[in-house]
Amino acid sequence: MRPGEALRVVLRSGSGRLGMGLLAVLVLVSVLVPFFYPLDFGLRFWNNPIAWADNPKAAPPAWTNLLGDTAPRHRVFDAEQPTGTIDAGSARIRQFAFTFSHQTVEPPTFLSVSIGAVTFHERPPILSMTLTRPDGRSATLLQEAVRGLRPDETSPVTRFADEPRRVYLTGDAAALGAAADFLLREFDLRTSGTELQGRLEEVLFSMPTGEGVDSLAPLNGEYTATIRVITYDPRDSVQSVRFVAAGGVYGLMGTDTQGRDLATGLLFGFPVALLIGVLTSVAATILGTFFGILSGFSGGRTDTIIQRVSDVMTNIPLLPILIFLIFVLGQKLWLVMTILVIFGWPGLTIILRSMVLQVRSGQLVEATQALGASRWRIMFRHVFFQMAPFIVAQMIFFTPAAILAEAGLSFLGLGDPSLPTWGQILEQGFRTGAIFIGYWWWILPPGILIVITAMTFVLLALAMEPVLNPRLRERAA
Amino acid sequence: MALAYTLGLRALSLVGVLFVVLLLVVVTLGATGFSDRMLTAIVSEEMRGTRQALAETIKDPERLEETLRERRAELEEFYGLDRPWYTRLPAMVGRVLTLDLGAARNLRSFDGSSRVTDIVLERVPYSIMLVTTSLVITAVIGLWLGAKLATRVGTRSDRLTSYLAAASNALPAWWAGILLILVLSFQLRIFPSGGLYSSPPPEGGLLRFMDLMWHAALPILTLVLVSVGAWTYVVRTMLLNTAQEFHVTAARARGLPEGQVMRRHILRVAAPPIATNIILALTGSIGGAILTETVFNWPGMGRLYFDAITTADEAVIVALTFLFTLMYITARFVLEVLYVVLDPRVRYTAQ
Repeated sequence: MRPGEALRVVLRSGSGRLGMGLLAVLVLVSVLVPFFYPLDFGLRFWNNPIAWADNPKAAPPAWTNLLGDTAPRHRVFDAEQPTGTIDAGSARIRQFAFTFSHQTVEPPTFLSVSIGAVTFHERPPILSMTLTRPDGRSATLLQEAVRGLRPDETSPVTRFADEPRRVYLTGDAAALGAAADFLLREFDLRTSGTELQGRLEEVLFSMPTGEGVDSLAPLNGEYTATIRVITYDPRDSVQSVRFVAAGGVYGLMGTDTQGRDLATGLLFGFPVALLIGVLTSVAATILGTFFGILSGFSGGRTDTIIQRVSDVMTNIPLLPILIFLIFVLGQKLWLVMTILVIFGWPGLTIILRSMVLQVRSGQLVEATQALGASRWRIMFRHVFFQMAPFIVAQMIFFTPAAILAEAGLSFLGLGDPSLPTWGQILEQGFRTGAIFIGYWWWILPPGILIVITAMTFVLLALAMEPVLNPRLRERAA
Repeated sequence: MALAYTLGLRALSLVGVLFVVLLLVVVTLGATGFSDRMLTAIVSEEMRGTRQALAETIKDPERLEETLRERRAELEEFYGLDRPWYTRLPAMVGRVLTLDLGAARNLRSFDGSSRVTDIVLERVPYSIMLVTTSLVITAVIGLWLGAKLATRVGTRSDRLTSYLAAASNALPAWWAGILLILVLSFQLRIFPSGGLYSSPPPEGGLLRFMDLMWHAALPILTLVLVSVGAWTYVVRTMLLNTAQEFHVTAARARGLPEGQVMRRHILRVAAPPIATNIILALTGSIGGAILTETVFNWPGMGRLYFDAITTADEAVIVALTFLFTLMYITARFVLEVLYVVLDPRVRYTAQ
């Protein structure tokens, strides 16, 4: 049967259409992802906690708010140009004002301010951050000077160029002290910074209703965070400013306990999963086909050796050996794939050999031989092409096995850290105890993606059956 | 005689497999320097004991150090640490075979022993319990349901089973386990999420047993769930193929009751190919058990694998790899025996 014809047969069945549709989606995503992701995504971003510092930790997906939960949205404000500038003598005050509407009972989960690349000439600039509430009251939570010239430095100096100066206000002793002062000044509430530990947002985003800091009513409305950078030389500059009022929900798929955006990790998993499945199954199939045909055709000692080796290989339990080898040789994805190929081809070889023996004794081969065709020509043109649909079906069937083997290995903690996969995301969730706390958005999506990807190939293999078995084809038609 | 010959041949070939695995393990360990590290750990442990013993009798610190150095050199020579790794291959194979792998780095057995043999061997019964129980349940359901479906081919339930069987190829056991925990343990709180007993474990033999069963329910359910579909499908298809043969028609024509035809003329004849498929499915179930134990914190060998990887306990991993292969090969041999018993033709060809 020609490929086009075979494709038509596959597409005639429901499972074939579904499988083809899913495959198209998988391929499309996998092709697009490398354009938008750096290739060292795993090491530079995914497994680098600094990259995720400004995300809420273990936040469910943003769309869960539609189901009735009222968690604040995640808000990130970036600015390079100040919203206003005030000149006072030699000093220049750059103001970055960020206004946001707070409408939920829950306060933001944390507040943070980051300032990147400050260049100054003589006097070090002063940084400050003030939060203004809807009731007009305001609290200055951050006030600090950039570190001045060291003896070994010459003016001008640039600070925070490699890594922005990030102040995590929620855990900052000075910010907590400022909040305590704010409560005393505005509401005559006597507390201390240590008492407010972990409750900074709670007191800032509410009105006291009673005596202590325990009776609070949420205060909704427009909040403004104003970040000021005061410089003392006209040539001084500040590159960027960021303010984060972290939400209780995040993005399309939520975050894990490190604040990593699960959607990005899951998207990156598409090409990796497809790569593992397709490369492994193609390589194993090529090897298996080659040795199977060789074994069946040559007979004699070659045949015996290939069959003995295949027999031993198929008798080895794969997962324990895979665990052992990856543990000893190192957690590399290419190594996993190589081992899967090495242990994957013998099964096909054994089946193909018996098929070749059948075909070889048939009249077609005899006739071709009588016409004077060479051994290789017979092997390729007549034997291989007769078995091609079967080989393709086996290849499709092996693909999910490879994907699941890698996922299982990752789940045991032996994943390649430079390439995040769905199995690894699941493993981290499992290790953190996400199932026992109920972080379903961390556990369900990677598993569902693994199952859907494997299912795609199972469906295709299922739809291949009428191609292999002509009797079924007649019934379907 | 022929039977013994056939089985002997199979046993020999499986021992060959075991040997290949051992060689693979030992060569990998040697070539990567792992075996040096493991033997050094064994030497260091023995030296600790020697130091304590000698410190009692030798009071002069310089002489003590001297004696210890000599003792260390002796030990290193004994373990072959002064020679290249390939010269001690046979010794290392023997070591793995007898699980004489020294002490684990962090893992301990239930009563606190750090010997690898103790840690690993006490887990074996728990793994075997899980795998055999689920295998028996799967077999019973698979045979019963498969036989039932074979009599009603093409019905909706038949097609549904075929699809579910195919789908179960895409459902890894550990993921099914996680789903079951989320639903039955976390949401509905019917079953415990893991472990062997409640804490504290209930008193009394029967209550304790019931508690164990209650904890084993979810892992067993997981293993059954992911393999029962494929089993049913195989049984159904094999029975169907046999049912189309002439001897079955002949049996029916003789007016034999349908139950008898099913038992003696279909099931009996289809038994060997069914057994073959079961043998082939065994690898999958071993892998499934490793991951399922991990998910349910079931203290078998699979969970130990997970813990050993987490704490980088090399000796335990080597011991487990060997034991799993041994278990697999033993199970495989049992099935081969079963196969020979089921299929008389194998016996005759051997002659």
